[in-house]
Amino acid sequence: MGALRDIAGAMGVTQGQGATDAMFFGDGLVETPARGDAPAIPLTGDASLDKHTRVALLREEREIARRFEGGKMWLYPAFAFTCYAIWLSFFPLAIMGWLNLPLAFVLSTVFAVGGYVTSHEAMHSNIGRPGSKMRWLNEWTGKVSTIIIVFPFSMARLMHLEHHYHCNHPEKDPDYPDRASGPWHAIYKTWLNRQPGVDGSIHIYKRILAEMGTKEAADSLKDTIRLQLIFLAVLFAMAWSGYAIEAALIWWLPRHIGLSYIRFYLSWAPHHPRVEQGRYTNTRLFKSRLGHIGSIGMETHFIHHLYPAIPSHRTKEAYHALRPVLEKRGVHCPEI
Amino acid sequence: MQRAVQTLFKIMPFLFGIGFIAPLIAQTMTYWGWEPPLGLSPIGLGLLIGGPWGLYATLRGRWV
Repeated sequence: MGALRDIAGAMGVTQGQGATDAMFFGDGLVETPARGDAPAIPLTGDASLDKHTRVALLREEREIARRFEGGKMWLYPAFAFTCYAIWLSFFPLAIMGWLNLPLAFVLSTVFAVGGYVTSHEAMHSNIGRPGSKMRWLNEWTGKVSTIIIVFPFSMARLMHLEHHYHCNHPEKDPDYPDRASGPWHAIYKTWLNRQPGVDGSIHIYKRILAEMGTKEAADSLKDTIRLQLIFLAVLFAMAWSGYAIEAALIWWLPRHIGLSYIRFYLSWAPHHPRVEQGRYTNTRLFKSRLGHIGSIGMETHFIHHLYPAIPSHRTKEAYHALRPVLEKRGVHCPEI
Repeated sequence: MQRAVQTLFKIMPFLFGIGFIAPLIAQTMTYWGWEPPLGLSPIGLGLLIGGPWGLYATLRGRWV
Protein backbone atom coordinates (compact mmCIF):
# COMPACT_ATOMS: atom_id res chain seq x y z
CA MET A 1 0.00 0.00 0.00
CA GLY A 2 2.88 2.29 0.78
CA ALA A 3 4.20 1.64 -2.69
CA LEU A 4 0.83 2.52 -4.11
CA ARG A 5 0.84 5.80 -2.22
CA ASP A 6 4.29 6.54 -3.62
CA ILE A 7 3.09 5.82 -7.14
CA ALA A 8 -0.02 7.92 -6.63
CA GLY A 9 2.09 10.71 -5.22
CA ALA A 10 4.47 10.51 -8.14
CA MET A 11 1.52 10.77 -10.50
CA GLY A 12 0.45 13.93 -8.74
CA VAL A 13 -2.88 12.62 -7.60
CA THR A 14 -2.27 12.95 -3.88
CA GLN A 15 -3.41 16.18 -2.39
CA GLY A 16 -5.48 17.38 0.49
CA GLN A 17 -7.13 14.90 2.85
CA GLY A 18 -3.97 14.10 4.81
CA ALA A 19 -3.35 10.79 6.46
CA THR A 20 -6.59 10.43 8.31
CA ASP A 21 -10.25 10.00 7.55
CA ALA A 22 -12.92 10.54 10.12
CA MET A 23 -14.97 7.42 10.65
CA PHE A 24 -17.66 6.34 13.03
CA PHE A 25 -17.10 3.39 15.29
CA GLY A 26 -20.15 2.43 17.30
CA ASP A 27 -21.82 5.57 18.55
CA GLY A 28 -18.64 7.58 18.78
CA LEU A 29 -16.86 9.66 16.21
CA VAL A 30 -13.14 9.17 16.01
CA GLU A 31 -10.41 9.92 13.54
CA THR A 32 -8.65 6.83 12.28
CA PRO A 33 -5.93 6.20 9.74
CA ALA A 34 -7.39 5.70 6.29
CA ARG A 35 -6.55 2.57 4.30
CA GLY A 36 -5.35 4.74 1.46
CA ASP A 37 -5.03 8.46 1.72
CA ALA A 38 -4.42 9.35 -1.89
CA PRO A 39 -7.59 10.66 -3.48
CA ALA A 40 -8.30 9.74 -7.10
CA ILE A 41 -10.77 12.61 -7.26
CA PRO A 42 -8.96 15.91 -6.65
CA LEU A 43 -9.98 16.94 -3.16
CA THR A 44 -9.15 20.60 -3.49
CA GLY A 45 -11.74 21.66 -0.94
CA ASP A 46 -10.53 19.24 1.63
CA ALA A 47 -7.00 20.65 1.75
CA SER A 48 -8.28 23.62 3.69
CA LEU A 49 -10.42 21.62 6.10
CA ASP A 50 -9.25 21.14 9.62
CA LYS A 51 -10.06 18.14 11.76
CA HIS A 52 -13.10 19.74 13.43
CA THR A 53 -14.60 20.74 10.10
CA ARG A 54 -14.14 17.24 8.75
CA VAL A 55 -15.73 15.72 11.83
CA ALA A 56 -18.64 18.17 11.65
CA LEU A 57 -19.11 17.41 7.97
CA LEU A 58 -19.07 13.71 8.66
CA ARG A 59 -21.67 14.10 11.38
CA GLU A 60 -23.87 16.06 9.01
CA GLU A 61 -23.25 13.53 6.25
CA ARG A 62 -24.23 10.66 8.51
CA GLU A 63 -27.40 12.36 9.71
CA ILE A 64 -28.51 12.90 6.12
CA ALA A 65 -27.56 9.35 5.09
CA ARG A 66 -29.55 7.84 7.93
CA ARG A 67 -32.76 9.21 6.39
CA PHE A 68 -32.24 7.01 3.34
CA GLU A 69 -31.58 3.72 5.09
CA GLY A 70 -34.32 1.12 4.73
CA GLY A 71 -37.51 1.87 2.81
CA LYS A 72 -39.52 -0.48 0.63
CA MET A 73 -37.22 -3.44 1.19
CA TRP A 74 -39.99 -5.96 0.49
CA LEU A 75 -39.42 -5.14 -3.19
CA TYR A 76 -36.17 -7.11 -3.20
CA PRO A 77 -37.49 -10.48 -1.96
CA ALA A 78 -40.64 -10.01 -4.07
CA PHE A 79 -38.52 -9.48 -7.18
CA ALA A 80 -36.09 -12.27 -6.29
CA PHE A 81 -38.70 -14.97 -5.61
CA THR A 82 -40.94 -13.99 -8.53
CA CYS A 83 -38.08 -13.99 -11.01
CA TYR A 84 -36.69 -17.23 -9.66
CA ALA A 85 -40.10 -18.93 -9.95
CA ILE A 86 -40.58 -17.65 -13.51
CA TRP A 87 -37.07 -18.73 -14.47
CA LEU A 88 -37.55 -22.22 -12.98
CA SER A 89 -40.80 -22.60 -14.91
CA PHE A 90 -38.88 -22.03 -18.15
CA PHE A 91 -37.32 -25.50 -17.92
CA PRO A 92 -40.49 -27.65 -17.97
CA LEU A 93 -42.14 -25.19 -20.36
CA ALA A 94 -39.19 -25.48 -22.75
CA ILE A 95 -39.24 -29.28 -22.60
CA MET A 96 -42.99 -29.26 -23.31
CA GLY A 97 -42.42 -26.86 -26.20
CA TRP A 98 -44.63 -24.16 -24.70
CA LEU A 99 -41.93 -21.54 -24.30
CA ASN A 100 -41.07 -18.54 -26.45
CA LEU A 101 -37.31 -19.12 -26.32
CA PRO A 102 -36.11 -15.65 -27.45
CA LEU A 103 -38.33 -14.04 -24.81
CA ALA A 104 -37.18 -16.53 -22.18
CA PHE A 105 -33.56 -15.77 -23.10
CA VAL A 106 -34.04 -12.02 -22.65
CA LEU A 107 -35.91 -12.48 -19.37
CA SER A 108 -33.35 -14.96 -18.02
CA THR A 109 -30.57 -12.47 -18.76
CA VAL A 110 -32.49 -9.70 -16.98
CA PHE A 111 -33.08 -12.06 -14.03
CA ALA A 112 -29.38 -12.96 -13.93
CA VAL A 113 -28.36 -9.30 -13.64
CA GLY A 114 -31.28 -8.29 -11.41
CA GLY A 115 -30.62 -11.25 -9.17
CA TYR A 116 -27.26 -9.85 -8.23
CA VAL A 117 -28.91 -6.57 -7.22
CA THR A 118 -31.37 -8.32 -4.90
CA SER A 119 -28.67 -10.58 -3.46
CA HIS A 120 -26.50 -7.52 -2.93
CA GLU A 121 -29.05 -6.09 -0.50
CA ALA A 122 -29.05 -9.43 1.31
CA MET A 123 -25.24 -9.43 1.43
CA HIS A 124 -25.44 -6.23 3.46
CA SER A 125 -28.31 -7.63 5.58
CA ASN A 126 -30.51 -4.76 4.43
CA ILE A 127 -33.60 -6.98 4.18
CA GLY A 128 -33.20 -8.49 7.65
CA ARG A 129 -30.44 -7.89 10.19
CA PRO A 130 -28.93 -10.83 12.11
CA GLY A 131 -31.26 -11.74 14.93
CA SER A 132 -34.26 -9.95 13.45
CA LYS A 133 -37.47 -11.78 12.58
CA MET A 134 -36.90 -11.06 8.88
CA ARG A 135 -33.45 -12.62 8.86
CA TRP A 136 -34.65 -15.81 7.16
CA LEU A 137 -36.09 -13.71 4.33
CA ASN A 138 -32.79 -11.90 3.94
CA GLU A 139 -30.90 -15.20 3.67
CA TRP A 140 -33.31 -16.86 1.26
CA THR A 141 -33.50 -13.77 -0.93
CA GLY A 142 -29.74 -13.93 -1.24
CA LYS A 143 -29.71 -17.67 -1.90
CA VAL A 144 -32.27 -17.76 -4.71
CA SER A 145 -30.99 -14.57 -6.35
CA THR A 146 -27.58 -15.80 -7.43
CA ILE A 147 -28.48 -19.30 -8.62
CA ILE A 148 -28.83 -18.17 -12.24
CA ILE A 149 -25.29 -16.81 -12.29
CA VAL A 150 -24.03 -19.95 -10.49
CA PHE A 151 -22.44 -17.91 -7.73
CA PRO A 152 -23.67 -19.14 -4.35
CA PHE A 153 -24.79 -16.51 -1.90
CA SER A 154 -22.37 -17.69 0.79
CA MET A 155 -19.42 -17.07 -1.53
CA ALA A 156 -20.89 -13.89 -3.03
CA ARG A 157 -21.42 -12.35 0.42
CA LEU A 158 -17.95 -13.22 1.73
CA MET A 159 -16.25 -11.87 -1.37
CA HIS A 160 -18.36 -8.74 -1.53
CA LEU A 161 -17.70 -7.86 2.10
CA GLU A 162 -13.97 -8.43 1.50
CA HIS A 163 -14.29 -6.02 -1.42
CA HIS A 164 -15.73 -3.41 0.96
CA TYR A 165 -13.05 -4.02 3.60
CA HIS A 166 -10.17 -3.87 1.11
CA CYS A 167 -11.58 -1.89 -1.79
CA ASN A 168 -9.00 -1.59 -4.63
CA HIS A 169 -6.27 -3.41 -2.73
CA PRO A 170 -4.31 -5.36 -5.39
CA GLU A 171 -4.15 -8.55 -3.34
CA LYS A 172 -7.04 -8.36 -0.89
CA ASP A 173 -9.87 -6.97 -3.00
CA PRO A 174 -11.50 -9.98 -4.75
CA ASP A 175 -12.74 -7.68 -7.51
CA TYR A 176 -9.29 -6.34 -8.31
CA PRO A 177 -8.84 -8.60 -11.41
CA ASP A 178 -11.58 -6.50 -13.07
CA ARG A 179 -9.16 -3.59 -13.26
CA ALA A 180 -8.89 -2.35 -16.86
CA SER A 181 -7.63 0.65 -18.78
CA GLY A 182 -10.94 1.48 -20.45
CA PRO A 183 -14.44 0.18 -21.19
CA TRP A 184 -13.46 -2.14 -24.06
CA HIS A 185 -10.60 -3.56 -22.06
CA ALA A 186 -13.01 -4.00 -19.14
CA ILE A 187 -15.45 -5.96 -21.32
CA TYR A 188 -12.57 -8.13 -22.51
CA LYS A 189 -11.48 -8.71 -18.89
CA THR A 190 -14.98 -9.89 -17.94
CA TRP A 191 -14.49 -12.72 -20.45
CA LEU A 192 -10.80 -13.31 -19.75
CA ASN A 193 -11.25 -13.61 -15.99
CA ARG A 194 -13.68 -16.49 -16.47
CA GLN A 195 -11.29 -18.57 -18.55
CA PRO A 196 -10.30 -21.83 -16.83
CA GLY A 197 -6.55 -21.30 -16.72
CA VAL A 198 -6.37 -17.54 -16.25
CA ASP A 199 -5.54 -16.12 -12.82
CA GLY A 200 -8.94 -14.46 -12.69
CA SER A 201 -11.80 -14.11 -10.27
CA ILE A 202 -12.24 -17.70 -9.05
CA HIS A 203 -8.53 -18.10 -8.39
CA ILE A 204 -8.30 -14.94 -6.31
CA TYR A 205 -11.47 -16.02 -4.48
CA LYS A 206 -9.90 -19.36 -3.61
CA ARG A 207 -6.73 -17.70 -2.40
CA ILE A 208 -8.63 -15.22 -0.22
CA LEU A 209 -10.80 -18.01 1.20
CA ALA A 210 -7.68 -20.04 2.03
CA GLU A 211 -6.20 -17.01 3.79
CA MET A 212 -9.40 -16.53 5.77
CA GLY A 213 -9.22 -20.16 6.88
CA THR A 214 -12.64 -20.09 8.56
CA LYS A 215 -15.42 -22.68 8.47
CA GLU A 216 -17.56 -20.11 6.71
CA ALA A 217 -14.93 -19.79 3.98
CA ALA A 218 -14.60 -23.56 3.57
CA ASP A 219 -18.40 -23.94 3.43
CA SER A 220 -18.71 -21.26 0.78
CA LEU A 221 -16.16 -23.05 -1.39
CA LYS A 222 -18.14 -26.30 -1.00
CA ASP A 223 -21.34 -24.44 -1.93
CA THR A 224 -19.60 -23.15 -5.05
CA ILE A 225 -18.46 -26.62 -6.09
CA ARG A 226 -21.94 -28.06 -5.48
CA LEU A 227 -23.72 -25.34 -7.46
CA GLN A 228 -21.26 -25.55 -10.35
CA LEU A 229 -21.67 -29.34 -10.51
CA ILE A 230 -25.47 -28.98 -10.49
CA PHE A 231 -25.25 -26.36 -13.24
CA LEU A 232 -23.05 -28.57 -15.41
CA ALA A 233 -25.13 -31.69 -14.72
CA VAL A 234 -28.30 -29.85 -15.80
CA LEU A 235 -26.62 -28.53 -18.95
CA PHE A 236 -25.19 -31.94 -19.90
CA ALA A 237 -28.43 -33.81 -19.14
CA MET A 238 -30.57 -31.35 -21.09
CA ALA A 239 -28.12 -31.23 -23.99
CA TRP A 240 -27.93 -35.01 -24.40
CA SER A 241 -31.71 -35.27 -24.06
CA GLY A 242 -32.19 -33.02 -27.08
CA TYR A 243 -32.60 -29.67 -25.28
CA ALA A 244 -29.17 -28.12 -25.75
CA ILE A 245 -30.51 -24.93 -27.37
CA GLU A 246 -33.06 -24.52 -24.59
CA ALA A 247 -30.37 -25.01 -21.90
CA ALA A 248 -28.11 -22.54 -23.68
CA LEU A 249 -30.78 -19.86 -23.94
CA ILE A 250 -32.29 -20.29 -20.48
CA TRP A 251 -29.16 -20.72 -18.37
CA TRP A 252 -25.77 -20.88 -20.08
CA LEU A 253 -25.84 -17.67 -22.15
CA PRO A 254 -27.85 -15.57 -19.66
CA ARG A 255 -25.33 -16.51 -17.00
CA HIS A 256 -22.35 -15.43 -19.10
CA ILE A 257 -23.95 -12.23 -20.39
CA GLY A 258 -25.22 -11.45 -16.90
CA LEU A 259 -21.80 -12.00 -15.31
CA SER A 260 -20.13 -9.76 -17.87
CA TYR A 261 -22.72 -7.04 -17.32
CA ILE A 262 -22.37 -7.32 -13.55
CA ARG A 263 -18.57 -7.28 -13.71
CA PHE A 264 -18.58 -4.29 -16.01
CA TYR A 265 -21.13 -2.16 -14.20
CA LEU A 266 -20.82 -3.27 -10.61
CA SER A 267 -17.10 -3.76 -10.49
CA TRP A 268 -15.19 -1.94 -13.20
CA ALA A 269 -17.23 1.22 -13.88
CA PRO A 270 -17.63 2.58 -10.34
CA HIS A 271 -14.08 1.73 -9.22
CA HIS A 272 -12.12 2.76 -12.28
CA PRO A 273 -9.13 3.42 -12.28
CA ARG A 274 -8.89 1.27 -9.17
CA VAL A 275 -5.91 3.00 -7.63
CA GLU A 276 -7.16 4.75 -4.51
CA GLN A 277 -8.29 3.06 -1.33
CA GLY A 278 -9.60 5.94 0.77
CA ARG A 279 -13.17 6.29 1.99
CA TYR A 280 -13.94 9.12 -0.43
CA THR A 281 -11.66 8.00 -3.22
CA ASN A 282 -12.07 4.26 -3.77
CA THR A 283 -15.25 4.71 -5.81
CA ARG A 284 -16.27 7.31 -8.37
CA LEU A 285 -19.46 9.07 -9.31
CA PHE A 286 -20.17 8.93 -13.03
CA LYS A 287 -22.85 9.50 -15.61
CA SER A 288 -23.73 6.35 -17.52
CA ARG A 289 -24.92 6.30 -21.13
CA LEU A 290 -27.41 3.64 -20.12
CA GLY A 291 -28.80 5.80 -17.33
CA HIS A 292 -29.27 4.97 -13.68
CA ILE A 293 -31.41 1.85 -14.19
CA GLY A 294 -29.40 0.64 -17.18
CA SER A 295 -26.23 0.85 -15.09
CA ILE A 296 -28.01 -0.95 -12.23
CA GLY A 297 -27.75 2.13 -10.03
CA MET A 298 -23.97 2.18 -10.25
CA GLU A 299 -23.72 5.88 -11.09
CA THR A 300 -24.06 6.49 -7.36
CA HIS A 301 -22.23 3.40 -6.12
CA PHE A 302 -20.03 5.89 -4.25
CA ILE A 303 -22.93 6.40 -1.83
CA HIS A 304 -23.22 2.64 -1.35
CA HIS A 305 -19.57 2.43 -0.30
CA LEU A 306 -20.04 5.24 2.18
CA TYR A 307 -23.33 3.87 3.52
CA PRO A 308 -24.05 0.23 2.55
CA ALA A 309 -27.29 0.31 4.58
CA ILE A 310 -28.80 2.64 1.97
CA PRO A 311 -30.53 0.30 -0.51
CA SER A 312 -29.71 0.45 -4.21
CA HIS A 313 -32.96 2.13 -5.20
CA ARG A 314 -32.28 5.07 -2.86
CA THR A 315 -28.62 5.84 -3.54
CA LYS A 316 -29.41 8.42 -6.22
CA GLU A 317 -31.87 10.20 -3.97
CA ALA A 318 -29.33 10.06 -1.14
CA TYR A 319 -26.63 11.42 -3.44
CA HIS A 320 -28.65 14.54 -4.21
CA ALA A 321 -29.24 15.11 -0.51
CA LEU A 322 -25.60 14.47 0.40
CA ARG A 323 -24.09 16.39 -2.49
CA PRO A 324 -23.63 19.76 -0.70
CA VAL A 325 -21.80 18.10 2.19
CA LEU A 326 -19.67 15.99 -0.12
CA GLU A 327 -18.74 19.04 -2.18
CA LYS A 328 -17.65 20.87 0.95
CA ARG A 329 -15.40 17.89 1.63
CA GLY A 330 -13.91 18.26 -1.82
CA VAL A 331 -15.54 15.33 -3.57
CA HIS A 332 -16.19 15.93 -7.26
CA CYS A 333 -19.94 15.63 -7.63
CA PRO A 334 -21.14 15.52 -11.24
CA GLU A 335 -24.73 15.98 -12.41
CA ILE A 336 -26.39 12.58 -12.31
CA MET B 1 -12.66 -36.89 -2.52
CA GLN B 2 -10.97 -33.50 -2.72
CA ARG B 3 -8.48 -34.83 -5.24
CA ALA B 4 -11.25 -36.35 -7.36
CA VAL B 5 -13.14 -33.04 -7.41
CA GLN B 6 -9.96 -31.15 -8.31
CA THR B 7 -9.26 -33.55 -11.17
CA LEU B 8 -12.86 -33.29 -12.35
CA PHE B 9 -12.68 -29.50 -12.51
CA LYS B 10 -9.28 -29.65 -14.16
CA ILE B 11 -10.68 -31.64 -17.09
CA MET B 12 -14.05 -29.85 -17.00
CA PRO B 13 -13.45 -27.85 -20.21
CA PHE B 14 -12.97 -31.14 -22.09
CA LEU B 15 -16.09 -32.61 -20.48
CA PHE B 16 -17.97 -29.42 -21.33
CA GLY B 17 -16.82 -29.77 -24.92
CA ILE B 18 -18.33 -33.22 -25.30
CA GLY B 19 -21.10 -32.84 -22.73
CA PHE B 20 -22.58 -29.58 -23.90
CA ILE B 21 -20.90 -28.01 -26.91
CA ALA B 22 -21.12 -31.16 -29.07
CA PRO B 23 -24.91 -31.64 -28.68
CA LEU B 24 -25.41 -27.87 -28.91
CA ILE B 25 -23.65 -27.80 -32.28
CA ALA B 26 -25.59 -30.86 -33.46
CA GLN B 27 -28.98 -29.48 -32.43
CA THR B 28 -28.24 -26.02 -33.79
CA MET B 29 -27.35 -27.55 -37.17
CA THR B 30 -30.53 -29.60 -37.19
CA TYR B 31 -32.60 -26.55 -36.18
CA TRP B 32 -31.23 -24.47 -39.08
CA GLY B 33 -31.32 -27.42 -41.50
CA TRP B 34 -27.57 -27.50 -42.11
CA GLU B 35 -26.07 -30.73 -43.45
CA PRO B 36 -22.80 -31.91 -41.88
CA PRO B 37 -19.96 -32.45 -44.40
CA LEU B 38 -18.32 -35.78 -45.28
CA GLY B 39 -21.42 -37.79 -44.49
CA LEU B 40 -21.03 -37.15 -40.76
CA SER B 41 -24.01 -37.14 -38.44
CA PRO B 42 -24.73 -33.83 -36.66
CA ILE B 43 -23.62 -35.25 -33.32
CA GLY B 44 -20.52 -36.73 -34.98
CA LEU B 45 -19.52 -33.30 -36.21
CA GLY B 46 -20.44 -31.81 -32.82
CA LEU B 47 -18.11 -34.25 -31.08
CA LEU B 48 -15.42 -33.61 -33.65
CA ILE B 49 -15.53 -29.89 -32.83
CA GLY B 50 -16.51 -29.94 -29.14
CA GLY B 51 -14.03 -32.62 -28.06
CA PRO B 52 -10.82 -31.05 -29.44
CA TRP B 53 -12.03 -27.55 -28.53
CA GLY B 54 -12.61 -28.64 -24.93
CA LEU B 55 -9.25 -30.40 -24.90
CA TYR B 56 -7.60 -27.21 -26.20
CA ALA B 57 -9.28 -25.21 -23.41
CA THR B 58 -8.16 -27.76 -20.82
CA LEU B 59 -4.56 -27.65 -21.98
CA ARG B 60 -4.27 -23.96 -22.86
CA GLY B 61 -6.46 -22.61 -20.06
CA ARG B 62 -8.72 -20.56 -22.29
CA TRP B 63 -11.35 -21.23 -24.90
CA VAL B 64 -9.99 -18.84 -27.54
